[in-house]
Amino acid sequence: MNRRITAQNATTIGAFCVATALFLFALIYQPSFGSSNSLSQVAIFAAFMGIAALGQTLVVLGGGMDLSVPWTIALGGVAFTQWSSSGIPPGVALALVIVAGVAVGAVNGIGVSYLKVSPIVMTLGVGGIVQAYLLHVGLGSGTGDAAPNLAQSIATGSVAGIPTLAIFWLVLAVGASLVLSKSAFGRRLYALGMNERGAYLAGVRVNQVRILTYMASGVASVLAGVVLSGYLGEAFVDMGGPYLFGSIAAVAVGGASILGGQGSYWGTVAGALTLTFLSSVLSMFDLGQSALQIAYGLVIIGGVLFGRVAAGMARSGSRLRRRA
Amino acid sequence: MSSIVGQAAPEGSKMAVLLKGSRGWRAHSLVIGLLVILVLLNGFADPGLVDMFQAGLLLQTALPLVFVAFAQTLAVLTRGMDLSVGASMAMVSVLTATWMGGFDGGSSWHLLPILGIALGIGLLNGVLICILRLPPIIATLATWSVFNGVAIGLLEQDGGEVPTWLTNLVTGESFGIPNSYFILAVALIIWYQLSRGRLGRSIFAVGGDPERAALNGINVKRTLIATYGLCGLIAGIGGLMLAGATSTGQPTAGDAYILPSVTAVVIGGTSLMGGRGGVGLTILGVLILTLVNSLVQALSLEAWVGVLLTSVLLVAVVVVRAIPDLIKGRA
Repeated sequence: MNRRITAQNATTIGAFCVATALFLFALIYQPSFGSSNSLSQVAIFAAFMGIAALGQTLVVLGGGMDLSVPWTIALGGVAFTQWSSSGIPPGVALALVIVAGVAVGAVNGIGVSYLKVSPIVMTLGVGGIVQAYLLHVGLGSGTGDAAPNLAQSIATGSVAGIPTLAIFWLVLAVGASLVLSKSAFGRRLYALGMNERGAYLAGVRVNQVRILTYMASGVASVLAGVVLSGYLGEAFVDMGGPYLFGSIAAVAVGGASILGGQGSYWGTVAGALTLTFLSSVLSMFDLGQSALQIAYGLVIIGGVLFGRVAAGMARSGSRLRRRA
Repeated sequence: MSSIVGQAAPEGSKMAVLLKGSRGWRAHSLVIGLLVILVLLNGFADPGLVDMFQAGLLLQTALPLVFVAFAQTLAVLTRGMDLSVGASMAMVSVLTATWMGGFDGGSSWHLLPILGIALGIGLLNGVLICILRLPPIIATLATWSVFNGVAIGLLEQDGGEVPTWLTNLVTGESFGIPNSYFILAVALIIWYQLSRGRLGRSIFAVGGDPERAALNGINVKRTLIATYGLCGLIAGIGGLMLAGATSTGQPTAGDAYILPSVTAVVIGGTSLMGGRGGVGLTILGVLILTLVNSLVQALSLEAWVGVLLTSVLLVAVVVVRAIPDLIKGRA
């Protein structure tokens, strides 16, 4: 157990090293990157990715995968914008949107747990149903309504010069990692991801744990959608598109095993930062979409391999210490 | 269909189980029944479709997905998944429009290096998965991103020039029959030959139980690398179909085929756990998806109805297939 955690921390530290290296490179190459204005922008973009990938992290830790993330993000943005502009108070609308996120996650989780549908199929299907709903309410191109002030102020406001969204993300990250590392739920989730049968025999209610992770993913996605619509100024059906494989990439670059049971949310935070810094660096060279996609792919492979090397070094280190 | 599955099963006993097992037969009758119902519904909704040429046109729009889903089936049969099929398509579509058309001394002989590149993308996936031991989803997510980037770099927007012979091949007719029928037949023949050959048997064996396959003397790594190579090549042929049907190179068109290819594989009945299913089933899945969308158009319903029907169908088919197991699990 101890060894696994050490290797795990090493992976997370490795992921942060990659992010830091990219950050320093950007800072040295273009010192204006360090201005508070540009740092705020980068923090906001990383926060979108990080929040969208929070749910994905939990689901992946439990051995699943959530492909409904982009449509749930759009659901959050579109529903919040529409319900608010139809006269529902923003607070109530936000609560309703969160309920919708829980519902989407619950359907995913129940399908995977009780109907034994594979996570990829279930979340693909549920994502399609959500997409159909969004198209049905007639939002192919956009709501036409401006995103509510509440969403805009969360997405673009700042406290003492630090973007509100970045603070929100930090709080979320601390909370999520405490839940993962200290709570019984966290231990059960790792157990489920590592060996479902074993966890079940050890008395973990695996279905309950798994459904909770999908619900958390639904909530994280709708919240990401609400703030994203606030940032963009409007909501539209395809707004979540980049976060389908982006969220999985952030989780993988952060060193989590896509097969479950290994990883941490801090790793995903580092993964989201890495991917965001990468696009900042590439935009400095003015290379365009093509180079960005190529670099993304290389960083996914490099990040996963680097995390593995870091974990391996930690393992051999602890072996040496024991021998000494 | 089931005989193809049975053929490739490594052992006699397993073959017997597959042939007798209610799961196999029920699953196939479900797909075939769905297809028949959809054909009838389409016929009633739009009698104009009951025509060899109209149906051929419908089939022609389905050809890119036929090949991409063919490729996806191979990856799924080995317990994997290939997200980079979209990039193979995009690369072939873009290269066809820039290397084979009227530009810079383009020639139809360039088809060979173009398909070679598609094969190379697939082989690279295989190496990442087998040698570097990356999970298939991560490896192919990365190569998808990389080669989509390359495709956009080669051709920023839709355009270029597709040779007329390719357009004629995809959209024309021979002996008074639309070519799309022949192309579908070729795809089925390729699969039939492949599934009876050594590689096909190895794919089923490795997907069914990699350890046992290795003990039986099958080179698991070589099989996987060859499978992903073939995946890239066949997805590339899907890109060729797309280029022929649309007469332009499209650097981003492949993305729209990734998830539908998985949907078609699953609706067809190939197990995501590997080792069970086949391309014949997947083509039934592709036809079902195509007919759902044509039905929605024939009834002049809105696009969201098609999305909803497809998604509900995906989950419903999987659940109905699992009912015998669920009941057994309860009891």
